[in-house]
Amino acid sequence: MKEKIQKYNLPKNLEVSFDNNVASFEVPVSQIKELVNNLYKNFNLSLKLVTATDEREEDGCFRIWYILGSPKDNIVIIPFIKLKDTIEFPSLSLDIHEIIDYERKIQTFFGLKPIGHHNARSIILHENWPKNLFPLRKDFNWQTKPPIAVNNTYHFQKVKGEGIYEISVGPIHAGIIEPGHFRFSVAGESIMLLEPRLGFTHKGSEKLFEVLPLAEKIHLSEKISGDSSFSHSLAFCQALEQLSDTNVPKRALCLRVIYSELERLANHFGDIGAIMLDTGFNFGGAQGSRLRENIMQINERITGSRFLRGVNIVGGVITDISEQENNILTDDLSNIAEDFSEIVDIVDNNASLLNRLEGTGVITFETAKDCGVIGVAGKAIGISSDARVNYPYAMYNELEFDEIATEKSGDVYARFRVRIKEVRSSIKIIQNALSKLPTGNINTHNSDISFKKNAFAVSVVEGWRGDIVYFVKTDSCGNISRVAPRDASFTNWAVLKDAGYDNVVPDFPLINKSFNLSYSGNDL
Amino acid sequence: MLITILILQIIFVPLISPLAIGFIKKIKAKLQNRRGASIFQPYKDLWKLLHKDEVISSDASWIFKVSPYIIFSITVIVGASIPLFSSVLINFYTTDILVIVYLLSIGTFFLALSGMDTGNSFGGFGSSREMTISAMAEGGLIFSLLTMAIISGTTNLFEISNIGLFAFSKSILSVILAFIAFFIVLLAENGRFPYDNPDTHLELTMIHEAMILEYSGKKLALMEWAGANKFIIFTSLCANIFFPFGIAQSVSLDALSIGIIVLIIKIIIFCLIIGFLESKMSKFRFFRLPDLLIVSFIISIVAIGLINQL
Repeated sequence: MKEKIQKYNLPKNLEVSFDNNVASFEVPVSQIKELVNNLYKNFNLSLKLVTATDEREEDGCFRIWYILGSPKDNIVIIPFIKLKDTIEFPSLSLDIHEIIDYERKIQTFFGLKPIGHHNARSIILHENWPKNLFPLRKDFNWQTKPPIAVNNTYHFQKVKGEGIYEISVGPIHAGIIEPGHFRFSVAGESIMLLEPRLGFTHKGSEKLFEVLPLAEKIHLSEKISGDSSFSHSLAFCQALEQLSDTNVPKRALCLRVIYSELERLANHFGDIGAIMLDTGFNFGGAQGSRLRENIMQINERITGSRFLRGVNIVGGVITDISEQENNILTDDLSNIAEDFSEIVDIVDNNASLLNRLEGTGVITFETAKDCGVIGVAGKAIGISSDARVNYPYAMYNELEFDEIATEKSGDVYARFRVRIKEVRSSIKIIQNALSKLPTGNINTHNSDISFKKNAFAVSVVEGWRGDIVYFVKTDSCGNISRVAPRDASFTNWAVLKDAGYDNVVPDFPLINKSFNLSYSGNDL
Repeated sequence: MLITILILQIIFVPLISPLAIGFIKKIKAKLQNRRGASIFQPYKDLWKLLHKDEVISSDASWIFKVSPYIIFSITVIVGASIPLFSSVLINFYTTDILVIVYLLSIGTFFLALSGMDTGNSFGGFGSSREMTISAMAEGGLIFSLLTMAIISGTTNLFEISNIGLFAFSKSILSVILAFIAFFIVLLAENGRFPYDNPDTHLELTMIHEAMILEYSGKKLALMEWAGANKFIIFTSLCANIFFPFGIAQSVSLDALSIGIIVLIIKIIIFCLIIGFLESKMSKFRFFRLPDLLIVSFIISIVAIGLINQL
């Protein structure tokens, strides 16, 4: 660990502490800007999460954590700052574009002021939330029912000019999808500006993580974004396992790989179908939902839950795959793979479909880098980042893994192709894992889990949208005092407006579908 | 007997139009490996909607309220004025090509107005798209029908359908080209693929559905029904003008039954073609649609040029 850290030329006066694969150190407020900038720009570390904790009761300060990942070494570097007797901290938003929304979130939920931030509008909480009430501060009781604020307004960005027409769409849509508002400024049919306004599914999840009992915390993590239930609970359980030094049996690690990949398969099939459906190619749409349903039924057969809920616990999983089920599943997957190839052949020969997908919703490599785009959308523009390879967890490092599926064009078609490639590699991974399934227990029974005191853990899991990051911190009694989940949607929402720019309005649903971001995972 | 034919002629279109829509949906479902709803579902939907309460925006003017009645009546009038299963009603005043085309345009005009009337942003762009497409489709529509009018020497639709296959066979190339041009317009005017997706839930991609988004209850039923009527009007025109056989030329019961059966078979064939098309292809991007309509216009001009004057 220490050697790995040395190459980053950290200032000598910092006290770096190591824990598992996490290196953390306090940085004086005046130096944070330079240090994070240096790590992010010169050493190409990826920004995983920026969040705050309220430790005024124990330490008399707020802390702000800058969680950076080093993909090559599988280590996480966390510089943090202490805010004593002040609520102001230096904003990095002018240097690091993707930090904008993290800082806005800290401002909205903790009432800490990023000095020098150019977009001070609140995020997620709406204008009817009182301005001086900060829900993630410890002195805010989670059962408080605040009065409805009436005089606040949210200012959308404006485009001025002749013939500019504003279309407001949502938050309620015609299909059964999550709520979100989109404000288009269009000239004729082409989009000049698109501004998504989210927060309609805000449930106070981060606050709930602080008050619920442990078992329910895990259930809550499954509900951060319902379609990634398994990946979210996996990320959360992994963090808890680090904090409690729990060893997970080999068999459980392998099962976790299988379940994660089943979840990825189901969602990729659904998306591949939905992208085709949105172009009006009904045949493809029907096939996509059929394949997704096949996987969901497999999930239900093995675990009793179509969304793989209630499977993860601290120390392993609770449902096993028997010898007989192993064989059935292997066969099922071969059949599905065969079906899928036939569908892909039909797609590849459909000119009208390809015409709709190619060149639609293009994002450039620079934009994607600046916005910190990850997951499927990132891979589609050649950002080769995948937590399964970069931060191997569960049993991924022992399985055969094809290279990370990437494309270059960054359009809807590229995102479509990335999904097709990932489906194929997922099927291989599952079959590989099934053939290597180790024997033994599927969890370490531990009825009385205790966590390290004043510690924290970071866990990264590649959900099907992109990486999911959990930052979990305990207080001086060993209770969990802060859980900050970050779904891949949170970073990727920022790039949607660039993907929409200069496309025609009727293509927007297709572009949106090719990202298929979670509203719930963003709003928390 | 003539009275019976007249009554039959008037009720035929509204009576079978929901069935055609249900039939296309069924074909599409089958092609997607789904079971699909019954082909009689559109009747049930209309029945349900006719018994529902309406919500009318407080910003809506009288245009919004009368449009469904105007649009629905126009489709019934036009439906009664085109050759369906018999060509014996020649003396109708409304059976001229231009009268039919511009009666339908009045319907489109009111549809677009009612889309904008409530001030809903979806209605606004729905209307704007509809007018773009409808203006470009008009050329192909008129000139393809004109080709047939020149071949048969009359602009009366009943006479055109009466002329028989022999006269057509002399200018067969023109007829084929004019048919292709008319078919492209048929797809555009009825909001079928590749112009519009009648089954979509995505507001931003809609054309026809966006304009009627604010309607509910009885008025929505009328709008939906009128859309179905328009589809039958276009397919019957297509069937009887470009494939003029089987139509009853006398008032006998035999001829009439044959006429009705042949027409229904022709409509079924068109439904099959459209259902197949909508399963096989994607919708076009909006800015590619004018290209297709220009093609329709040019083909029909070429068709006129190729008419054999012998």
